[in-house]
Amino acid sequence: MQELDTTGLGSVRVTRKSDNVVVIEKDLATEQMVLAMGPQHPSTHGVLKLECLTDGEVITEAVPYLGYLHRCFEKCCENVDYPAVVPYTDRLDYLAGMNSEFSYALAVEKLLDIEIPRRVEFIRVIVAELNRIASHLVAIGTYGIDLGAFTPFLFCFRDREIILGLLEWASGARMLYNYIWVGGLAYDVPSDFLTRVREFVTYFRPKTLELCNLLTKNEIFVKRTLGIGIMPADVAINYGWSGPMLRGSGVKWDLRRNDPYSVYPELDFNVPVPDGKLSVVGDCLSRHLVRAFEMDESLKIIEQCIDKMPSAEGFNPRSAIPKRIRPKAGEVYSRAENPRGELGFYIQSDGKSTKPIRCKARSSCFVNLSAMKDLSKGQLIPDLVAIIGSIDIVLGEVDR
Amino acid sequence: MSEYFGNIKTGAVTIASGMGITLKHFFNAIHRKGDAGVDDVNYFRQVDGLCTLQYPREVIPTPKNGRYRLYNNIEDCIGCGQCVRACPIACIAIETIKVAADDLALCGKTSDGQQKKFWIPVFDIDVAKCMTCGICTTVCPTECLAHTSVSDFSEFDRSNFIYHFGNLSRREAEAKRRKNADLQAKAQAEKEKKAAEALKESKGGESGEPINVL
Amino acid sequence: MSSTALSQFSIPFLMGNNLNAWSEALAGFNLFGLPLGLVILAAIPLVFIALYSLTYGVYGERKISAFMQDRLGPMEVGKWGILQTLADILKLLQKEDIVPTSADKFLFVIGPGILFVGSFLAYAVLPFSPAFIGASLNVGLFYAIGIVALEVVGILAAGWGSNNKWSLYGAVRSVAQIVSYEIPAAIALLCGAMMAGTLDMQKITMLQSGSLGFAHFFLFQTPIAWLPFLIYFIASLAEVNRAPFDIPEAESELVAGYFTEYSGMKFAVIFLAEYGSMFMVSAIISIVFLGGWNSPLPNIGPLALNDLTNGPLWGAFWIITKGFFFIFVQMWLRWTLPRLRVDQLMYLCWKVLTPFAFVSFVLTAIWEVYVP
Repeated sequence: MQELDTTGLGSVRVTRKSDNVVVIEKDLATEQMVLAMGPQHPSTHGVLKLECLTDGEVITEAVPYLGYLHRCFEKCCENVDYPAVVPYTDRLDYLAGMNSEFSYALAVEKLLDIEIPRRVEFIRVIVAELNRIASHLVAIGTYGIDLGAFTPFLFCFRDREIILGLLEWASGARMLYNYIWVGGLAYDVPSDFLTRVREFVTYFRPKTLELCNLLTKNEIFVKRTLGIGIMPADVAINYGWSGPMLRGSGVKWDLRRNDPYSVYPELDFNVPVPDGKLSVVGDCLSRHLVRAFEMDESLKIIEQCIDKMPSAEGFNPRSAIPKRIRPKAGEVYSRAENPRGELGFYIQSDGKSTKPIRCKARSSCFVNLSAMKDLSKGQLIPDLVAIIGSIDIVLGEVDR
Repeated sequence: MSEYFGNIKTGAVTIASGMGITLKHFFNAIHRKGDAGVDDVNYFRQVDGLCTLQYPREVIPTPKNGRYRLYNNIEDCIGCGQCVRACPIACIAIETIKVAADDLALCGKTSDGQQKKFWIPVFDIDVAKCMTCGICTTVCPTECLAHTSVSDFSEFDRSNFIYHFGNLSRREAEAKRRKNADLQAKAQAEKEKKAAEALKESKGGESGEPINVL
Repeated sequence: MSSTALSQFSIPFLMGNNLNAWSEALAGFNLFGLPLGLVILAAIPLVFIALYSLTYGVYGERKISAFMQDRLGPMEVGKWGILQTLADILKLLQKEDIVPTSADKFLFVIGPGILFVGSFLAYAVLPFSPAFIGASLNVGLFYAIGIVALEVVGILAAGWGSNNKWSLYGAVRSVAQIVSYEIPAAIALLCGAMMAGTLDMQKITMLQSGSLGFAHFFLFQTPIAWLPFLIYFIASLAEVNRAPFDIPEAESELVAGYFTEYSGMKFAVIFLAEYGSMFMVSAIISIVFLGGWNSPLPNIGPLALNDLTNGPLWGAFWIITKGFFFIFVQMWLRWTLPRLRVDQLMYLCWKVLTPFAFVSFVLTAIWEVYVP
């Protein structure tokens, strides 16, 4: 028995038996409906538009349409100096500005080949991990909303608020920090900052547990996500997935471990990967669990950083910042682990200008979203919502 | 069959535990978390409770180093224009007039004793465009341009977002300009005269042709 | 006739043994040959729904959800935001009444009406106190179960008439859901009816009175009554489209479900209908299983709490309190749980609730027959 092409026919199945008798099976005569989901749909996380072909509630095809939030990041970068690109990187993934800045700073530092003070590295890791927790809190909270649970979202935002406060205290701004500069930091952290961060860690641990009991362990939540949107590891790699999405598919790939940068090699933390006990490897629940466990790991990293950090004596956060950034002619690609995956910057310099002649951002969200077509085939509309939520896209980074 | 009943059991147990959490929060609603800022020592010692702040009356305090509304202390500004060049989105507009030699004392010095050499009739910041990146403040040599921690400065009219920091009124600026132009014209005339004289001397009046110096 | 009604009005405590007298007197009250009494009688539940939706329904839900989420909720209009709902209603009244061009205008307009009437009709048979019942039907419970199904028509009209894909999805989901959940709900209620031996709501309530207070309630009369009670509660959540069964209006999937296209007063009417049916199912469950207007307090020796707290006014207090308690539980569930998927909803209905409802039905029958 062999199944023939059934695209576009929905509930019509054409099968050919061994004796060359073609059997056409037809369900109730249905018509496919084009359903435009977004850009103003509540669960497309911004301005994503999905054009779905639906057969009843079953989606036969979903095509993402992008570009509603395109802000010419790359062209902007070609027109401003190297340090002035940093505020633009904040606006890529606006939920994890610190991580984007970190990634960009790493790229330019690689191009310039400069040495960074040790304390700067630790502060960078602390703020980046704090921002990672904040970002994952948004991801988990909004995932709850996608599945109809509103309360976890507000609990998440309550705790995220504290992180934003901490980062505002350090950098002066709540979301768009411009804190990690090429070669250093804008300022040293305030004197009490580290004690407050430590207090935050002790405050936050029980909250993650509460969140787990309220949302992650909830049977309805598990039933909604378990076995939905399964992505096998090999397909995920072929799509170029990274971050929690790839780890959700069971691939232990974390740039902080696999392509270590900054002080991450000195720190002790796990890379959480689903083992198939709590979830089916590669499904929405795995991705959610990876994010939930990563918050714990980030807390661990923060604690270790505070312990290992050199003192502030005689420390100038701007000591290694070049007066004028004019790299030698050349190109560089550097990447870092963002909350949503690998954020890489490809920068080209002509050696004369103080502006990059090309600055390309390799955005993880965009790459992760590209698998939408595969993931959505044959799913119900509620499952589609669950899958979009588990991809955790930030349209600022998708469209750039 | 055991899976069927097991599912029902886990469903009931987890739903009950979730409801316990929300009920705990419901009864905890008699407490209200304070509005201490994160730089407060007691920040994490505030009670767990309702954490809404009723905005116009209660606000999250912004830290002292908060980077919000731009402010230019024009007394200290030397009109170098570094901020204008640094701003990635060109939200600062500046116009300067050179201070005449006899006006230098009138123009004054910055607070760190540097002689100011420019009048600044126009120093406009469009805070609606400003993305508070802080790049302009870091290049400012006299540190007169700074972000303040005032975070709410909404306006009904867009044009109110253009903040004028210039230290001359339009008429004053016009006068200064005219004065400069006069001075320049005078200097030019002087120069012309000198040049003509020099030419006359060098040529010794050989030809009667008029000489066009300019 | 009218004079007796008015005289009884002033001494409500004396009417404890004169069931339905007040409402029957009111029904017979004619002014100049006009059945004014009937109009008043019909208006009482309507006014009640409006008041309750305004206060407890909308404002209460917003406050309760806020407190569960560590928020303050509405605080600006009036003290503690108590006038917020009035402000909302004013806003909704001022809004333009939009009928989309491509909508089926008749269905679009009639939809909210049917919904509202459907949720309102069942109030006719709810005994609000020993002396007040709109229509003392001998098939009251049957009528109440049946009238809920009328809402399906309204939802379908609203969803289809909107000519919006999301509305259509919402309407179809809703119809499938309500029709399915009617079965476990009805069977669970039948357990109560079997214990009472009647379908008359007032009689069912009367059978649960006694000096021992709550011990006479059907929920505590047999060891298996909690099962139909639970089943009816879950099924009633689905019937009134409350979380975790709010898939017809799942805001993260279907934008707003069958009322996506509605605005202004039509939207308000749909909301009113939703809160109306919330109280209706809560009242039905408290009548059938928790004694309706009977006081749950027992007589303890010389302290005759039960006798003290029974009577027409106390009755209204008790049934409204019980109803509000169940509404609170509905809200509590809504702000705790994620939403089920369509197929899981059906699984729960057909594979869990319906079999258990049958089991409880049989067990109740056996209990009623063999246990005196």
